[in-house]
Amino acid sequence: MKQYIIRRAGYSLLSLFLLSLTIFLFVRVTGDPASLLVEPGASQDDIDNLRHQFGLDQPLWVQFWLFLRSFLTGDLGHSFYYRTPVLDLYFERLPNSLLLASVAMVLSLVIGIPSGVLAAVRVGGFWDNAGKVFTLLGLSLPSFFIGLVLILFFTVYLGWLPSSGSGTAAHVVMPAFTLGWYFAAAHMRLTRSSMLEVLGSEYVKLARLKGLPEALVIGKHAFKNALIPVITLAGINLVVMINVAVVVETVFAWPGIGRLLYEGITFRDFPIVQTVVVLGGSMIILVNLFVDILYAMIDPRIRLES
Amino acid sequence: MRMKTGSGSFEQQTSKPVNGTAPSELTRRGVLALSALGIAAIGQGPALAATPEGQLTWAVHVSLAPTWFDPAETPGIITPFLLLYALHDAMVKPMPGGSAESCLADSWKMAPDGLSYQFTVRTGAKFHNGEPVTAEDVKFSFERYRGTSAAMMKERVAAVEAPDARTVRFVLKEPWPDFLTFYSSATGAGWIVPKKYVEKVGDEEFKKAPIGAGPYRFVSFTPGVELVLEAFEDYWRKAPTVKRLVFKVIPEEGTRLAALTRSEVDIAYSIRGELAEPLRKTPGLTLKAVVIQAPFWLYFADQWDAKSPWYDQRVREALRLAIDYKSVSEALTLGFSPITNSIIPDNFEFYWKPPPAVYDPAKAKTLLAAAGHPNGFDAGDYYCDGSYSNVAEAIINYLQEAGIRVKMRPLERAAFTSSYSQKKLKNLIQGGSGAFGNTATRLAAFAAKGGAYAYGSYPEIDELFAKQEAEIDEAKRTELLHRAQQFIHERSVYAPIWQLAFLNGVGKRVGESGLGLIKGHAYSAPYEDVTIKK
Repeated sequence: MKQYIIRRAGYSLLSLFLLSLTIFLFVRVTGDPASLLVEPGASQDDIDNLRHQFGLDQPLWVQFWLFLRSFLTGDLGHSFYYRTPVLDLYFERLPNSLLLASVAMVLSLVIGIPSGVLAAVRVGGFWDNAGKVFTLLGLSLPSFFIGLVLILFFTVYLGWLPSSGSGTAAHVVMPAFTLGWYFAAAHMRLTRSSMLEVLGSEYVKLARLKGLPEALVIGKHAFKNALIPVITLAGINLVVMINVAVVVETVFAWPGIGRLLYEGITFRDFPIVQTVVVLGGSMIILVNLFVDILYAMIDPRIRLES
Repeated sequence: MRMKTGSGSFEQQTSKPVNGTAPSELTRRGVLALSALGIAAIGQGPALAATPEGQLTWAVHVSLAPTWFDPAETPGIITPFLLLYALHDAMVKPMPGGSAESCLADSWKMAPDGLSYQFTVRTGAKFHNGEPVTAEDVKFSFERYRGTSAAMMKERVAAVEAPDARTVRFVLKEPWPDFLTFYSSATGAGWIVPKKYVEKVGDEEFKKAPIGAGPYRFVSFTPGVELVLEAFEDYWRKAPTVKRLVFKVIPEEGTRLAALTRSEVDIAYSIRGELAEPLRKTPGLTLKAVVIQAPFWLYFADQWDAKSPWYDQRVREALRLAIDYKSVSEALTLGFSPITNSIIPDNFEFYWKPPPAVYDPAKAKTLLAAAGHPNGFDAGDYYCDGSYSNVAEAIINYLQEAGIRVKMRPLERAAFTSSYSQKKLKNLIQGGSGAFGNTATRLAAFAAKGGAYAYGSYPEIDELFAKQEAEIDEAKRTELLHRAQQFIHERSVYAPIWQLAFLNGVGKRVGESGLGLIKGHAYSAPYEDVTIKK
């Protein structure tokens, strides 16, 4: 088990290194940030001066070494745009993203799981078809469109909810729904297919043969087992919601990490993009590592096979 | 008396009434007389005004950066001036009266030999902590300045002297006719910070709790969310009438418009064409367009290549005649972007007003035929910044009609700018610039030999440009720069499109929005002139 954990941790570190290298190189092929921080027509001296301040006049390998070294010491550098430590910006925004992601996750589970169960037990029926429409819309409508339609309806026409910003419970409603709908659809699809698989299994048939009430068969025997993959997916989705709600946070001016990433991309703010991606990636890698270890603890075959 | 840059004679800028809401009734002669008696400043002290009341909220389209709280770090973009006008004040700066108005400087004078500029600090000007603005603060602010053009300015300034508490002297290494352009508007070097406070708290802390000499003091800032400011009643020009200013960052323009419609904000910046029309039709809201110092143009990158069709001046003229610029402006900016027919902003010093642009597609075809293209020609690529591809599409439609067939090549902004400056683009380039400066600085970048964005040059322009660089007589310099602009116009070196209008929405509570009070400035200013409707 110890060897297994060490090996998995090693893979995680390698993944993190590769992620850092990839994002480091990718942001640098997108263009020169100095040219975005001056007006077209600015003197070459000013552009060169900015490049020097940002360390972009150094060879690529030196820049990468400095990035890695600062990352290992917990200093992720200063934002080119804000000129403040990137970690300060990240942790200022993190609580907002956690709040939005938590509410959106609760919404997605509250909507997704019951409707998935309903669709599975009424296959081909009204609820199943209604669920299909719901998931189709949730997965296919772009979130900026949903967001703007909600703003138009609830802010401009009804005047019930504030258009943007943060601070009160009313501010969370529209962004959380916009973010949550997509994931509710995903959770519903998975719950439905997982439930259908479990409902067709031998032990559910046995439970029915034993004469257990249908509600008990579905609620106790099928649902509990069907929920495992949904919870696993929800865990990963929570991390995704925290880190990449870029469009939703931009449309609703929600001051979270997604908007920080948007600002980083807009201004070629390499330290911001690198930090958000590497920290977001680290969260996903950690969750995966945790799940791997958990699986290995539950099922010895996994650790023996690997 | 308006500054006469480079006149070579001893000239003086005295206090000029710049109160936008209550223009002084003093005549120019009267002001001079008062100044001579040393009492002009009395008329410029804080005016008797009611206590500031209420709050106005702006929906801002860009994230506000704390670096903009410190004039020392002013980058070469216009956005930081959105905050500088509230928190800080400059010795001389663009105001409703003109592009170089005395503010913290009570008066200034240039030495007859053009080798020094002496400023007198205004009596009664205070920082938000109550301390007076002194000559030492002015010297300190210049010396710590590290923003745009800092190296160039410091290279040309030999010394900054502060012989007494109110006198500052900038000694130049050699006459520099554009010193005041850079000191007053093209950089943040003339914006004053309190020396004692900055030295006490350090640069980083200063950005967290900035103290300035502007009409509003800092209250709180949440990066990427909002900035709150409060009226500074001891501001020398006059006490602001609005107690609290809030700047909320709302990146999406549809959301900004929704917030304005529901009165969550009072002024929404940057509402473009598609949304500007519904804004204009919404009762209670006002569409306010501000023409900024950003002309757009088409540049014939290959005009120096004898094998290129653009080498022929008739072809370049044909292109200019083929485009209905007015209709393009109406379609995309509701007609608010004026067709100035120049690559120089009309508020810049030494601007030469060209004849109006002409739309004559028949003549364009005749010219093309005369140039050997009776059936039009394949004109190659049309490069543009992707965020302005809507302008390119409109222009290309007109070009196709005239038989000038191009392929649109939109590039992402950073890639476009770097390719443009590295002279990698070919055929046609749709460019533009909002950089600060004056006509000479624009020509240096875009038309003169060696210019960062000049793909070639003409000996006539180079000669005129070299002469004006050494000329400190303003009248002669004006003539030289006018001739250079005239040459560019007559030879169709560029095909100017328009001078961009920045469209904004103003809510029903706003009395004076401050938008457009300062020519060429994109945002509300001066903030002390902004009012709420009674």
